[in-house]
Amino acid sequence: MNFIKKIIPMKDFTLKSLMTFEKTPLNILMFILTIGLLGAFGWGVIEYLIHSHHAYNVTREHPWGLLIAMYIFFVVSSTGLCIVGSLGDVFGFKDYMAMSKRAILGSIVTILAGFAVIAFEIGHPVRMLIYNVLSPGLTSAIWWMGTLYGIYLTFMIIEFIFLMRNDMKNARIFGLTGLLVGLAAHSNLGGVFGFLNARTISNGVFYPTYFILTAFITGIYLTYLMYGFRYKMNFPEEIKKGLIGLAKIQTLLLAILMFFETWKMMTGIYGGMPGRADVVEHILHSGGFVYGEVLCGMLIPFVVMLTTKWKSINLYVYASFIGMIGIFFMRYDLVHDTQVKPLQMMKLTEYQLPPKWIEYFPSAAEFAIGFGAIGIFFMLYYFGQKMFDLDGGDH
Amino acid sequence: MARYGMALDYKNCINCKACEVACKEENGVELGAEKHRIWVGGNNPEGAWPLLDMASASFLPSQCQQCDDAPCQEVCPTHATYYDENGVVRVDADKCILCSYCMNACPYDARYVDERTMTVDKCTFCSDTRLARGETTTACQNTCPTKVRTFGDLDDPESEISELLRTRDHFSLKAHLGTKPKLFYLT
Ligand code: SF4
Ligand code: SF4
Repeated sequence: MNFIKKIIPMKDFTLKSLMTFEKTPLNILMFILTIGLLGAFGWGVIEYLIHSHHAYNVTREHPWGLLIAMYIFFVVSSTGLCIVGSLGDVFGFKDYMAMSKRAILGSIVTILAGFAVIAFEIGHPVRMLIYNVLSPGLTSAIWWMGTLYGIYLTFMIIEFIFLMRNDMKNARIFGLTGLLVGLAAHSNLGGVFGFLNARTISNGVFYPTYFILTAFITGIYLTYLMYGFRYKMNFPEEIKKGLIGLAKIQTLLLAILMFFETWKMMTGIYGGMPGRADVVEHILHSGGFVYGEVLCGMLIPFVVMLTTKWKSINLYVYASFIGMIGIFFMRYDLVHDTQVKPLQMMKLTEYQLPPKWIEYFPSAAEFAIGFGAIGIFFMLYYFGQKMFDLDGGDH
Repeated sequence: MARYGMALDYKNCINCKACEVACKEENGVELGAEKHRIWVGGNNPEGAWPLLDMASASFLPSQCQQCDDAPCQEVCPTHATYYDENGVVRVDADKCILCSYCMNACPYDARYVDERTMTVDKCTFCSDTRLARGETTTACQNTCPTKVRTFGDLDDPESEISELLRTRDHFSLKAHLGTKPKLFYLT
């Protein structure tokens, strides 16, 4: 233990202190929630091990489902927290210095939760590790995305170690490198969709850039949630300043996002191009987009922040929670909408109508693993803040 | 070393689906509607009974287009999808990690998951079976009662398929995507 402490300073803790917490109603609720989610994750994994991909509702026409969406959800969160964490320790904005440690820990644990999900989505994760190295597919966005995320995680861990040692010079070097690699990885994840020439709704430059934008937005929502929980809404001054600054940035980012989305939909529908215009129309009529993405993800937080003139931090914590629900729908819809239009439009058997839209609804096992991984995030984050001193950092 | 392709005189197709059955039988494709390497697509005739426009009902036999510029090969992170020495796009089951990217990237919905190996599978032009035994036809071609399909070497100017493509108009599916299919539909 002392050896580890020499590398990375930790608080003094015992197994017992790790397992005990103040019994406030919120803490107890979080405890029950975490245990429940972890239990669901475990059940989902067992289902998967017994039934393999039969446990999932993915099909030939809709091979990517909720698990891919949740993987994206987590890695977007990670990149976002990395951006927020970098504001202070990489770019030297004083107001955000105090947030770096917590945000970088958050970015590490969210990506670990993401990896936990993808491990049960990819058919052969171990094979992936082997052949990613032995026969790398350099034209594949998935190869770049996976490889760069692996490097990114390494840099984030090193940055965190230096942050904990208050070695700001090295933290900055690794933070900057990690951030650049993370942004490259993340835009490659957008590229996974952007490169799909056959899927006109996703093809093009939109997703690689949109992913970075929404990552930043997600990072700010999550920072609010983490601090809201940490200080139980009684924020110290140095954190307040940072959070107010983040709210202002968030309003601007949401405005940009709404502007982007408006143009994506307009260019999509314009001219009535088959395979694109009809999909856009389909999206515009779906509840997930209207209530999830637009209302929860963008409009409500935007209006709340704008009308309260960036003063009601407590309110923004709730707005951020609503925002995160919206972010989930953004990820889910992105995956679903990409595949919703059949590529093969003729009927293949008699007594069947030609396919119109591809249907998909996640199975119980997919829900259990996908949402259960939020429990992994909660658990790792809980242990992280028990083991490390995440407050203060403006040295 | 050949460059295999297939010409389809699709207007002769009578939707008997013998090719679908022959493919499953020859290549040991799993049972189940979703597990198919080749398929025959159909349109319902337009109009309302009894004023049906029978000419609008058509059948389109299809399968992996064996693209020369295959999106599935480009997106594969582990080179599990590759071109073999005959230009046939194949999947190395030992390298496939089942990321399903190729299934999403293929514009023709030509790929599915083989549950036995839990890897992606697709039409191989019978490379593992008939061609490996030295035969020169595919199962779907061999069984077709109206001789819709002609399989052969596109690089051999004397082959029947080269002759057909020289003398008859033809088109490719979704040609605008630049995938350069080696399946040709004769008009
Ligand atoms: S048709 Fe699809 S599976 Fe076949 S080579 Fe082209 S992209 Fe690949
Ligand atoms: S599913 Fe297999 S063949 Fe397809 S892209 Fe992934 S690794 Fe390659």
